[in-house]
Amino acid sequence: MDDTQRRGPLRYLRMYSYIVRRLAFGMVTIVIVSLVVFAILRVLPGDPLVAVFGMEGFMKLSAAERANYMAQLGLSDPLWLQYLHWMRDVAAGNLGHSFFRAESVGDMIARRGPLTAEIALLSVVLSWLVGVPVALVSALRPNSIADNLSRFLSILFLAVPGFWLGMLIVLFLLFVFGYRAPLAGASLFTNPIANLQIVVGPAVVLGLGQAAYIARMARSSLLEVIREDYVRTARAKGLGRRPVIRRHALPNALLPVVTLSGILLGFVLAGSIPVERAFGTPGLGYSMFTAVYERDIFVMQNLVLLYSVVFVLLNIAVDLTIAWLDPRIRYQ
Amino acid sequence: MSAAEPDAQIALSPDAAEPAGLRRLGRGLRRFARRSPMSAFWGCVAALVVAVALAAPAVAPYDPLKSDFRAMTKPPTERHVFGTDQIGRDVLSRVIYGSRASLTVALGAVVFGTTLGALWGLACGYLGGRFDLVSQRMIEFLQSFPDLILAMAIAMALGAGFGTVIVAIAITRVPFGGRVIRAVVLSLKEMSYVEAARGVGASKLRVMLRHILPQCVAPYLILATTHLGVAIVIEAALGFLGVGIPPPTPTWGNMLADSLNAGLVPPWWLVLFPGAAITLTVLAFNLLGDGIRDILDPRLRGAV
Repeated sequence: MDDTQRRGPLRYLRMYSYIVRRLAFGMVTIVIVSLVVFAILRVLPGDPLVAVFGMEGFMKLSAAERANYMAQLGLSDPLWLQYLHWMRDVAAGNLGHSFFRAESVGDMIARRGPLTAEIALLSVVLSWLVGVPVALVSALRPNSIADNLSRFLSILFLAVPGFWLGMLIVLFLLFVFGYRAPLAGASLFTNPIANLQIVVGPAVVLGLGQAAYIARMARSSLLEVIREDYVRTARAKGLGRRPVIRRHALPNALLPVVTLSGILLGFVLAGSIPVERAFGTPGLGYSMFTAVYERDIFVMQNLVLLYSVVFVLLNIAVDLTIAWLDPRIRYQ
Repeated sequence: MSAAEPDAQIALSPDAAEPAGLRRLGRGLRRFARRSPMSAFWGCVAALVVAVALAAPAVAPYDPLKSDFRAMTKPPTERHVFGTDQIGRDVLSRVIYGSRASLTVALGAVVFGTTLGALWGLACGYLGGRFDLVSQRMIEFLQSFPDLILAMAIAMALGAGFGTVIVAIAITRVPFGGRVIRAVVLSLKEMSYVEAARGVGASKLRVMLRHILPQCVAPYLILATTHLGVAIVIEAALGFLGVGIPPPTPTWGNMLADSLNAGLVPPWWLVLFPGAAITLTVLAFNLLGDGIRDILDPRLRGAV
């Protein structure tokens, strides 16, 4: 523990070695993830050509034609070679083509990815804006009416499936205001108004879902911290209740919330798949749904890899942020 | 205490013929109801959902698969209380039968996944060493996919069906079970009664099963009830994305997916009722789990 106080090279060395170890483990995880994704998508039941041509079209093909198409798609090579080719292509930034659309997977990610990223980030901001104040109200007056109400609401929002809430919102807006968010993609920079209309719905739904977790975690964490000696000391030296909460209790209580929020951000990426389908959002989650629906294996392979890589990187970022915020964890 | 009516009845009629075990269960339930009436109420709701699922053929007014071509996409009426879908199937009956799919999948996923994870965590926590190290890496790896994506990929790889959906969701539950139970076991391991058992020469297996396992039951139950809720939501999401239990089996997720295919604007009754069923069921299990946690282990408040 003395080391945490020490200034100088040793301290930074430890920090760097922690970062390097964490990144190395992340790299290994990503490689294993890619292997697993590859394996899963190659044992998919049914011939990929059935997905491309439909059952009838597939039956009409001769054996030679089938072999020819498989070779064109690179699906007749030995599995290990297919895997190496895939990795080579990914490293070169070439993510392949969909069976059904002209656009390459890379272009699709570049076009649709920002929308989903926007939704995810906005939902995290919303979850903090809603979750933390609710937790404060709850924890400062435990077992009051406000506390019980907010606890019930948070447990309710844990139970409501986001995609269903999304469908209800779409229906409500349509019936009551005759309004529907634009269906075509719009960039934040060229058409910010259309862009916001698209993004707000999914972000609110996903944000409320996370806010429920955050409110619960922040509440219990605050209740714990408020009982700590240093909070009592701060009160005893004459500091008011509010400054003590703001300056001493809250920053410490929010540490586990930061971890949770990072983990939730990863889950939001997955959660956005059904939610984007519910809203008809032209984001990456919707592409994932389409790819799954059409059994479009090259698209799925690359999207699942992308999601997993982002998820792994997010977890690393969370660990490093926590290590940066909380010296007690830095040296484990 | 009207919330706990069925439980109270068991306890109020202590006929001599009644076995002692049942009476003790009744007393336990009554105490549970007194200590947290809210959870007892939601426990009853959960029990009601289970009862409806079991008695679906008796409760449902129509065959969930039978089309009534004179009433297609009709809003709720007296004949069809929840309305009908685009091929004239009764929505109420489908919601009722949907509970069967949801509960079977959720129960299967928890029985296999959470339990497997818990046993794995028990072994990791108690044995420690290299086994624990390797297991922890494997668990971290399993957690490096968001659970919906993992479940989606597995469900697709195994092909659509009841069993595959259960396996897919079960696998996503394993790491959570493993982590929580391992942490519990790590602290139990240091208890003096465990040391005493080791001291008198009990084998590792015996210590684990006879002395540590019973102490893991409370955290396991808490975890299992929350996982039931999570599993129901994942199952619905899989159905919604078209990789769940294949149609025409009525599941809540499938019904919501179908409603989107009903036209540009889905009719409200096709959206409202299946989703409300999911929410109510998950809410009931979550609140029941909360209540169980408060009573069995107040220290775990907010931990799971």
